[in-house]
Parts: sequence; structure tokens; C-alpha cells
Amino acid sequence: MPRSRPSVALLSAAALAFVLACTSQAPAPQASAAKKKNLKIALIAKSSTNPVFLSARVGAEAAAKELNAQHGLQIEVAWLTPPQEDGQVQAQRIAQAVNEGADAILLSSSDAGKLKGAVDDAVSRGVAVMTFDSDVPLSKRFAFYGADDLKTGAQTMAELAQQLNGKGKVAILCGNQNAPNLQKRVQGAKDEAAKHPGITIVGSFPHIETPQDAAAEVIRVMNAYPEIEGWAMIGGWPLFTSTLLDQLDPKRVKVVAVDGLPAELAYVEKGIAPVLLAQPTYKWGHVGVTTIVDKLYFAKAAPEIVPMELVRVSQDNLREWAQQLKDWGFTDVAPHLLAPPAAK
Amino acid sequence: MTSRGWVKRFFGSAQAGLLFVILLLGGLLTAFAGSHIDRATGASVNNFLNSNTLIQVATDASFFAIMAVGATIVIVSGGIDLSVGSIYALCGVSMAMLLRAHPLSDAWSVLTALTVCLVIGLLCGALNGAMVVGLRVHPFIITLGSMWILRGLAFVASRAESILVPPALTAVAKHSLGLADTLYPVPMLVMVLTAVLGSVYLERTVMGRHVFALGGNAEASRFAGLRLGRIQLGVFVLSGVAAGLAAFLGASFYGSASCGDATGYELYVIASAVVGGASLSGGKGSAVNAMLGALLIVLIRQSIRTLRFDQNYEWIIIGCAIIVAVVLDQQSARLTARRLRPKD
Repeated sequence: MPRSRPSVALLSAAALAFVLACTSQAPAPQASAAKKKNLKIALIAKSSTNPVFLSARVGAEAAAKELNAQHGLQIEVAWLTPPQEDGQVQAQRIAQAVNEGADAILLSSSDAGKLKGAVDDAVSRGVAVMTFDSDVPLSKRFAFYGADDLKTGAQTMAELAQQLNGKGKVAILCGNQNAPNLQKRVQGAKDEAAKHPGITIVGSFPHIETPQDAAAEVIRVMNAYPEIEGWAMIGGWPLFTSTLLDQLDPKRVKVVAVDGLPAELAYVEKGIAPVLLAQPTYKWGHVGVTTIVDKLYFAKAAPEIVPMELVRVSQDNLREWAQQLKDWGFTDVAPHLLAPPAAK
Repeated sequence: MTSRGWVKRFFGSAQAGLLFVILLLGGLLTAFAGSHIDRATGASVNNFLNSNTLIQVATDASFFAIMAVGATIVIVSGGIDLSVGSIYALCGVSMAMLLRAHPLSDAWSVLTALTVCLVIGLLCGALNGAMVVGLRVHPFIITLGSMWILRGLAFVASRAESILVPPALTAVAKHSLGLADTLYPVPMLVMVLTAVLGSVYLERTVMGRHVFALGGNAEASRFAGLRLGRIQLGVFVLSGVAAGLAAFLGASFYGSASCGDATGYELYVIASAVVGGASLSGGKGSAVNAMLGALLIVLIRQSIRTLRFDQNYEWIIIGCAIIVAVVLDQQSARLTARRLRPKD
């Protein structure tokens, strides 16, 4: 049996000594980073396994590179996104970014309640915080860039209702039920469905926000509710896999999904998803970094809400959108979508 | 005992190895972390060796270190508790919902919150223990089931909302205790206190010795007249109470509680206990070592980001570190046993 009296005593003494040592530290007052040429921006998205946030990272790094070249700045984007969605871990990453001297934080919140304190602490220590995609509305962040989530949910359901000629049984795919932006999108979709008397919602289905978990959830729900004719996906998670290309019959089920990443375009081609409401996720990072640099370096005031418009992707503009994704640095765009259309 | 005797005993203790590794890692981080300019003083500050980062590391570890102390007691008894993360979520959600429905004065809010978390943790632990003893099913199976049941209860009760807790709770958990305003030592101190109490319970009380006896040899304990059912019930109650305490602290510190809190933390908790030298076959373990194990895991996580490694490798590095730590511990135990074996 282990004996630990000396080490317990030593640990207690060490902890006490450490606490006493900390008393001599003066609190750090708020200070501006204006005109500082080397800026460190911590990018903390919801999950590093979600491709939309990887494209935000590409956008942020591209913006930093452009601004560095144009203005002789030294902007560094530090990727501090947790591997899985966890508001508590995001709060810890915010604290870490501040402690390691970040000048600004670009954040997509997994849990607004958990992050308010961390954001306010960061701001009180002189670090500018901007949110994108999912806001922390009651915090001291200076700006939010993203779509109007109620409107996004409503638009998704309106498009689906149109595809189903105003009648049918539909399901809503919800993602992480704790994310405030997704909760709003679900609410928007439900509000819109209420305006279409022929549309019946069989259920709203949350899931772990990985492509495979989302696709598995869709298959499970389809097995349980074979009468479903349409899916309002308020995020494109399951369409990031090719699983549903074989599982959903375009003659029987229609999908309208938010997001329009390369993997999803096959669903538009096949007619399973006649409409995607693409978030220009690259711009989350690009606009975020640009707005932060405008505030910190150029001392320009930013509007509190920077609205982001969705791009409607369908068969009509599929190739243009594919090219846009390619231009934004996506390497997995199907080559046949980039080639000029064959003459009929 | 002379001071030389204490020193000799400390270096021979089970904690010395872990403390050495933590200090070594801390030294490496200090050497390679780089530095930044402090906004307040203009002085260069090491990115790791500063009071904010050190307390942040301890705070990050504290929530699952506290649970790890309880889980270690279960592991020493030869059992396992996979439900601690779910108990954490249920305690936090129940407490936040109660205080939202019945607002109280600041002092009463704190007392009520603490009581509710501890009582619900105790009840969940008692339920686990009663099922293990009453149904004679292995704790792995019982707590695997209760992990889902309790998480589900939290989900149904909270409707997946992230529920804000009264500011009085956050004021307690984030009290600076006379240190600089940006330092929050309360979770760290509660962690140390819990580890010390756990250590005293395990190593200085008759009940604790019974736990070691049960884990070391259940049959021998039975023949010795120990009431094994009561001991098993007790260890699960303690594990539940520890999870309740961690939930109180976590929800108060981060300002909200949701059903998704502490998802997957049971693995970190068990990893902390194992890295701390606990044997999953029972009869071996230390509360202080479990805390040090938690600190080591958080330090490894921290180092991945501080040293600018690609953080996508986090899980790989932590997995390897756990295996290496356990193998080294086993090697050390074998060497010690060989050294102590009487020579022919």
C-alpha cells in the first residue's frame, strides 16, 4: 500500500508557495494593439474535424498572407480549434491564447453560455474578440460575421417546400443541439414549415457533427420513418460523405442543405439535393481576419453584425460554384465539374 | 523523522516519478515556448512560465482531476466507473435548472448549488453501487449503462439547452483570493484539497484500507469478514460525490451547464488514474497520483499547442504518453520488487 505523507505535505507547500508568489503580480490593464505590425490571431472554430472550419482556416491564412504582402504586416494565424465540439475546451483555448500573447481571437462558439465569461475575460485583458458562424451575443466581442440563422433555417425549409410542391412529410437534421446558431436555424425551419399547411415535420434529429455520424443518423431515421419525402439539413454534415448517394432515391426523397462544399456537389448533380444554400465558409476566416486587422491596425470601426449572404447552388450554377471553391483553395473539387460543359 | 529521512522517503515515494516528469515537461516548455510582450508592462513574458498559464493548466486539469480522485477509489477497489462524465452533466444541469426556476440570494444560491450537486452525485453513485452489488453485474457494464441513462436524463430534462447559472456562483469559482484580478485559483485549490482528502481516506482510514483489501484480494477480504457489498457501495458513492463537486465547480466557473458537458471525460478520468499508477485489476492507486496524472495529461495537451506542434496529433500523442507512462510505471515496480526481494 503506498504511503504519501511527505508528498502530500510537499504538494500542499508547493501550492501555497505558488499562490503566494502570484500575489505580487499586477493586474494587466486593457491596452490597444493598434499600429502593431506583428499580430497574432487565434482561430478557434467549433471542431477541427468539420470541413467547413478547415475552409475557414484556409480563408484566414489567405487573408493574413494578402495583408502581409500589401501592408508589410506580420500576421500569424494560430489554429486552436479543438478536435471535437466542446464549449469548455474552447473556453480553455481562449484563456491559453490570451496567456500566450494573442492580439485577437476569431471564434465560432459551441456553447454561448460557457464562452461568455472566457470572451469577457479576454476582452478585459486587451484582446479583441470577433465571432463568426455562431455568436456569443451577450459577451463583449466587438463583431459577429455570419448568416442570420433564423432566416437561414426558414430559407432551407422554404426551398424544400418548393421542391415538394408544398406538401409532404419532412425531417430536420439538427447537428449539435447545444450550438445556439443551429438552435435558431431549427426554429427558423419550424416557423417556415408552419406557413406551409401541406408540410408535416416528423421530427428534428440531433447528432454528433461528424460526417459519418450524421450520415448514419439519416439512414437510421429513414429506416424508422420510411414516409419521409424531404430533409431540411441545417448543416451539410452527411453530404460530406458519399454514403447517401446510394441510400437516398432522388425520385422519392429531396434534400435541401445548408453548406456547399466540394463533397456535396455530387448530390446536386444526382438530383438528391436540388438546392444547397452554401455558406461562403472561406469568408468566415477571410472576412474575420480582415475585420480584425481593420480594427487593430487601421483603427477602423467595425459594425457589430457583419451580415453574410448565402449562395443558392443548384444545377444552374453548379460549375461556377465548383470553380469558386477551387479558387478558394479547395483541392477536392471533382475535375469534371471544372471542365467546360460538353457541347450537346 | 529527520529532514534527510523525509527527503529520502519522498524520492522513494510513488509521486516522485510523476513529479519529475511534470517538472521535466514544464522545464522543456519553459525553454521552448517562446515569449511575448506583456501589454501592461512592455516586458517579455515566457509563454509558459507565467502565473496565468500555470493556473490555467491547473484549472483545466482540476475538473477531471477531482473526478479522477473518486474514480481512483473505485479502481483501487477493483471496479470501474464509466459514468462520471454523465453524473457531472446531470448534476450541473439539475442545479442550473433548479436555480433558474427558484432564484435565491447570492449566498443561498451557492449553498443550494453545492448541495444539489453533491446530493445528486451521491444518489447517482449510490444507484451505481446498489446495482453493482444487488444485480451482481460487473461495474463496467452497470456504469456503461448508467453513463447513457444519466446523460439521457440530463438531455431530456434540459431539452439540450445550455442553462446559465447565477453570477454569484461564477463569482465564487472565479474569486481571485487576493491574487491579480486575472488569476482564478479556486478550482486548483479545490483540486489539491480533494486529492489530499482522497489520499487521507485511502491511506489513513480503516475504510480506505478495506478498499485496498477488497481490490487486492476479494476472496481473502470476504474470509476476513469484510462486508464487501457495503465497501463497493461506498466507493461508488464517493465517486459520484466527486463528480458532483466537479460539476458544481465546472458549471460555476464556466457560467452554464448543458447535457453535453464532460462528454468523453470518463476516458480522461480513467487515464489520469492509470497514469497515476492505479492498477485496473485493483489494489493499487493513489489519489494524489491521480491528480498528478490529470496534470500531466493537461500539460501534454498544452505542450502540443505551446510548442506549435500540429494539434491534429493531440490524440496520438496523449495515447502514446498513456501507454509509455504505464509501461514505465510497471518497469519501475518490477525493478523495485526485484530490489526488495531477499537475496538467497
